[in-house]
Amino acid sequence: MSPDVALPLLVGLPLGAAAVSLLLLGRPLVLQRTVSLVVLATMQVLSIVVVASVWDGSVVSVRVGAVDPAVGIVLAADPLGAIMLVVSSLMLWTVMVYAIGSQRTKEQAPAFHPLYLVLAAGVAASFLTADLFNLFVAFEVMLVASYVLITLGGSRDQVRHGMTYVVIGLLASTLFITAIGLVYAATGEVNLAALAVAMDQVPTGIRTALGLLLLVVFGVKAAIFPLFQWLPDSYPTAPSPVTALFAGLLTKVGVYAIIRTQTLLFPTGGEVSIALLVLAALTMTVGVVGAIAQNDIKRILSFHIVSQIGYMIFGLGLFTLAGIAGAVLYVVHHIVVKTTLFLVGGIVEERAGTGALDRLGGAMHTAPVLAVLFLLPALSLAGIPPFSGFVAKLSLAQSGFAAEQWVVTGVSLAVGLLTLFSMTKIWNGVFWGDPARAAVSLDREHVVAAPMTVATAILVTVSLAFVVAAGPLYDFSERAASVLLERGAYVQAVLR
Amino acid sequence: MAVVAVLVLHGLLALAAGLSGRRLGRRVLLLVACGPLAAVVLLVAHALGLLGSGALATSVSWVPSIGLQFDLVLDGFGILFWWLIAGIGLLVMVYATRYFAPRDDLGLFASMLVLFAGAMLLLTSTDNVLVLFVAWELTSITSYLLIGFDDHRAEARASALQALLVTGAGGLALLGGLLLVAGSAGTTSLTGILVVAPTDPAAQAGFALVVLGAATKSAQVPVHFWLPGAMSAPTPVSAYLHSATMVKAGIYVLARFAPAIGPVVGWWAPVVVGLGGVTMLLGGWRALRATDLKELLAYGTVSQLGFIVLLVGHGDPELVHAGATLLLAHALFKATLFLAVGVIDHQAGTRDLRRLTGIARRMPTTALALLVAAASMAGVIPLFGFIAKEAALESTLHVGFGGPAMTAVVVVGSVLTAAYALRLVWGSLATKGPDEVDDDVVEPREVARPAPGFEGPAVVLTILTVAFGVWVAPADALVVGATTALVGPEAADIHLRLWHGFGLPLLLSSVALVGGWVVWRWPGSVRRVAVVTARVPDMEDVYRGSLRGLLAWADRITAVVQPGSLPLYGAVVLSTVLLLPGVAVLRNLALPEGLVVAESGLQVAITAIVVGAAIGAARVRRRLSAVLLLGAVGYGMAVLFVVQGAPDLALTQLLVETLSLAMFVLVLRRLPERFESTPWRFGRPLRVVVSLGTGIFVAVFTLVAAAANRQGTAAADFLERSLPEGGGRNVVNVILTDFRALDTLGEITVLVVAAIGIALMVRTPVEPDERGEVGP
Amino acid sequence: MIPPTGPVHRPTGPPAGPDANSPRRSVILDVVLDLVFRTAVLFGLFLLFAGHNAPGGGFVSGLVIGTALVLRYVAGGAAEVDRVLPLEEHVLLGAGLLLAFASGAAGWIFGGAFLYGAKATLEIPVLGTVNATSALVFDVGVDLVVIGLVLGLLRSLGAAADRDADDVDTRRGVAS
Repeated sequence: MSPDVALPLLVGLPLGAAAVSLLLLGRPLVLQRTVSLVVLATMQVLSIVVVASVWDGSVVSVRVGAVDPAVGIVLAADPLGAIMLVVSSLMLWTVMVYAIGSQRTKEQAPAFHPLYLVLAAGVAASFLTADLFNLFVAFEVMLVASYVLITLGGSRDQVRHGMTYVVIGLLASTLFITAIGLVYAATGEVNLAALAVAMDQVPTGIRTALGLLLLVVFGVKAAIFPLFQWLPDSYPTAPSPVTALFAGLLTKVGVYAIIRTQTLLFPTGGEVSIALLVLAALTMTVGVVGAIAQNDIKRILSFHIVSQIGYMIFGLGLFTLAGIAGAVLYVVHHIVVKTTLFLVGGIVEERAGTGALDRLGGAMHTAPVLAVLFLLPALSLAGIPPFSGFVAKLSLAQSGFAAEQWVVTGVSLAVGLLTLFSMTKIWNGVFWGDPARAAVSLDREHVVAAPMTVATAILVTVSLAFVVAAGPLYDFSERAASVLLERGAYVQAVLR
Repeated sequence: MAVVAVLVLHGLLALAAGLSGRRLGRRVLLLVACGPLAAVVLLVAHALGLLGSGALATSVSWVPSIGLQFDLVLDGFGILFWWLIAGIGLLVMVYATRYFAPRDDLGLFASMLVLFAGAMLLLTSTDNVLVLFVAWELTSITSYLLIGFDDHRAEARASALQALLVTGAGGLALLGGLLLVAGSAGTTSLTGILVVAPTDPAAQAGFALVVLGAATKSAQVPVHFWLPGAMSAPTPVSAYLHSATMVKAGIYVLARFAPAIGPVVGWWAPVVVGLGGVTMLLGGWRALRATDLKELLAYGTVSQLGFIVLLVGHGDPELVHAGATLLLAHALFKATLFLAVGVIDHQAGTRDLRRLTGIARRMPTTALALLVAAASMAGVIPLFGFIAKEAALESTLHVGFGGPAMTAVVVVGSVLTAAYALRLVWGSLATKGPDEVDDDVVEPREVARPAPGFEGPAVVLTILTVAFGVWVAPADALVVGATTALVGPEAADIHLRLWHGFGLPLLLSSVALVGGWVVWRWPGSVRRVAVVTARVPDMEDVYRGSLRGLLAWADRITAVVQPGSLPLYGAVVLSTVLLLPGVAVLRNLALPEGLVVAESGLQVAITAIVVGAAIGAARVRRRLSAVLLLGAVGYGMAVLFVVQGAPDLALTQLLVETLSLAMFVLVLRRLPERFESTPWRFGRPLRVVVSLGTGIFVAVFTLVAAAANRQGTAAADFLERSLPEGGGRNVVNVILTDFRALDTLGEITVLVVAAIGIALMVRTPVEPDERGEVGP
Repeated sequence: MIPPTGPVHRPTGPPAGPDANSPRRSVILDVVLDLVFRTAVLFGLFLLFAGHNAPGGGFVSGLVIGTALVLRYVAGGAAEVDRVLPLEEHVLLGAGLLLAFASGAAGWIFGGAFLYGAKATLEIPVLGTVNATSALVFDVGVDLVVIGLVLGLLRSLGAAADRDADDVDTRRGVAS
């Protein structure tokens, strides 16, 4: 199959399926489940096709609507977009499997499946679109679905915290559309490739201002300092599969947008680069400090999302080949590992009814498999070798030192230790200890349905596969970085 | 390839042990012992010359682009370490089958143990500094899980964490250091770095970090305190990780760097040697005061590690040679001591020397092993420990600058060593008088005799300690191999001898023994000095204090950045807009030339209405008024669209406004008549400032951005192509349904989801709050 | 499926408007309302078909028809809306989205690009020459979605009204 077919299908298929799923409301749930799984699995296959076609570092594109890119919309996949797609598709179907197995997490709620598919479409469109306004639309599609999913099933607490998410999300969207207006005013374009060319004509000062505005817009989505506050407040209360998916994917869509726009439209770095590095250091630190202060699995993990985003921004802020390659690798690693950890957290909550560290204990003895499923990604998150997190952090630290950014690189190393500390906090609170003395233990009567464990195990296996395939994976990340930095291939493919 | 096979085998055994632990019971420990056994077989084959020259060197690529590849080279120094790791590992695993009662999680234990062994083997056989770090961290993690193996004990968990944090921090220092050094040298190969021996500031900082990292792992002052804490681990772990192998990883790194770096980096030798010296003295001192036998051994280990660092840290060939000898000697006697104490602890149920008496008679074999090992530690002729001490004294006497000081430290340290060796032997074995033991003493008859085979491993090591003393050739071959690998062929002439003749070293050795006996025999002086030293802050307290401080600080910071107030979060977002892009715009303020304020009076009038209504909407307290004023803003915009010649937009805007107004009014019937007032005093001024600022920013930025445009817009394209390509004269509609239909498809999806969302929100009954305790 | 939804029987009328069967409703109002409603729907449909060449289009059409539905709701509450449009809104929403997607797929098959506007010129009585495009099908989809949205909003309002009626006493207590 050629990418000409794959790209539009990746966006269109989940949308069409969402419509079908909506029409299946009220009919047996198995129909919706089948539609979702088939479509999400197809997306996985299609995304692999896309990755294969850009594996050598090329860019593929296809027009949607008008045939001329000057008036129509172009979908394009470069190595970065392709790898984001393939990893996201993996998250989408595994988390769906997990959700189907979960009893407490509202997969049976009305409209879960259509909403989920809409979210999938939004995510795919975000990674594929080569149009700034269409990116806004893709964001909206993704976000509006997420607004509903995060409050799904609605306990009061959840709705209250979901409100934070929705309001800040809408505020960021308003800023986004304003930014698009300003970009259009300055250049008369919204096509990203055309913008890449046109932006060079804009005076440096204005370009910097536009770059910073877009950084703030996507920074809210990506949860970088100081725009992250909504995240730790709203994520932990949502249903587990939803939190897992959001944790893995949504903030990373923001990071993707930052990487895409900053490298394509504002390639010189300059003042934006300094801002990125400072924000990265603060994001890493504040996030991990917040995590240390928490005493609940999902809250610890939520703060860690923030901290980890800092690493990705750090790599981008260097504006070097190795730095961006490290950032790309970090994003890929993080999506898998973070989702996995939230899935484990969800299993603990489902079995014990709580995620509070001081109430749990001894799960290593009553749920050894779960303990392993937690330990491996947790070590990876903390950057312990030989896991994928180590390779990613190593490449970032190397490029940081190479760029002589001593302070932020030092911070990135030190934050690793604090990350490890907060992971041991979970390990100590949940898995170690005497199960008989814990207020709630994961006893053998309350086991979860097989799909939850299987989905989690699949993701752990994938993250272990990253260890083996770290070499080719890094080289591909480097090709992705090279396409981002050189811009020419992307611009040509889109304007072709 | 043989090296790779052994390493892979360790990994596979770890996996197998984890999976089959429950089924195999204690036999799982024998299963994993196959790992070290294979390594021993390899070493024997190599020693007998059965392997080809390429057998010990191979390269496996991992992430070559960032310099990560398994360049495995097993040289003489590596072989010395491999003997320790594999040989003692094998004995410890056998020992553990007797040490543990059958329990469910032995599989995990065995898995971690063999994984650790594999990591140590990797650490000492790779030429790639990044892979060295990989192995280094693996040993830290496995050590963490092994120390906390008895995880129902809070103390074990705390000790495990302490060890992990301290060695983990050291690991990060090491990584930073290695990266800096490798960056300066332009290679990640260890030998490559040593050949280049970079001395630029970055590399020097790197070396300092490497020393720091090595010091944490090898328990040097002031980060030594984690090692006594690590004694919470089961004794096989203490014997293996925390005396024989893991703690020597730091020494391994220092020994590798010292011969090349010591001569070119001025501060290296004084700092590293000083570190070792202080550690040797402090460890020995603390061992004198310990009452827990394992704690005594732990401080003894700290002291001995300091001793070795003092020797190998200098980089001088003769010192390195002595260091390598001591490394081997220490592993032999200290592992024996741990294994023996483990047997005593296991049989008597305590390892408090105030509660033990008459052990020697209950378990003579263990007693003999312990006695010989302690004698070797103290440096009694003709044991291997004596040879090592002689070599050390001989070499320090030969050092020019600083030599006398080093000799003095070694002698004083040896006095302390002899003293705590006596304390250990007396404390664990002797039959004591009633005033020398506590009331809850364990009577000798309560102590069961050890099971057959339990004492075996200690005996094997004891035999080696004696054998290497009398027949020095095999040990000499190992040590010479190690030394030449470190400092080059010129070290091949330095050999070990049992008898150096009557000279200064022998005199000093004797002084140390006699001094040790004096210190042990008259403990009053020790007590008097202890009163003084007690005033020095204990590093463990410092650690606990900083951990508490970190947690409290984290709480405070988080409370500040995460107050849970939605309006505040919004204000932060908008303030960031004003701060980053806002300032950038201000610095580049260039309004368009020939700026037209308004084209007609109508525009001015409508704008005035829109602005007035907007301000009004923000000010009024009644909800209905606010909605109506918002409607006025919307209708005003619609009129503006008409004036600007966009009937389509105007129509849409008009309808949307009407519909939302109607909805608002219908919803408002269910809400209180007025807005509630802001609870926060500064809320209102803050909102006013932030929203005014944002409004002004957007307005100014629009003008500035438009002024910067030099290429027109895409609008002309759309107008031109609407009919021929889109088949319609209404360009807006053509854009929406054809040219950019994907946008529209997305937007109607948004509408669909919004409809679903509202329906779910309004029509689903709100559930009671089941997780109230989770949220803030 | 979305809970209490669709044209189900409602025991209590919303306070938003008089009940459809209430004797207070005047016949004249009913007739006028009906007339306005039908006109608005027709106008909406006109906008839909005229949209490609003159102001209008699916979105505007949907808004006009939606506004007409609001009028119905104000006059007779959710029950009256149910009577006029006895369809569950998720059917409208799903069908609209599917139609839009399908037109895009058709454009792909016949025009070569997803969402490409495929064209055909048709002679239709009354309306005359019409450039029938897949864009029109797309617009119909948009129209359905907008109508579905308004319908859903009105039903939600109705449901909220029902709930208010249930615990009206507690609410009064809060307000005073």
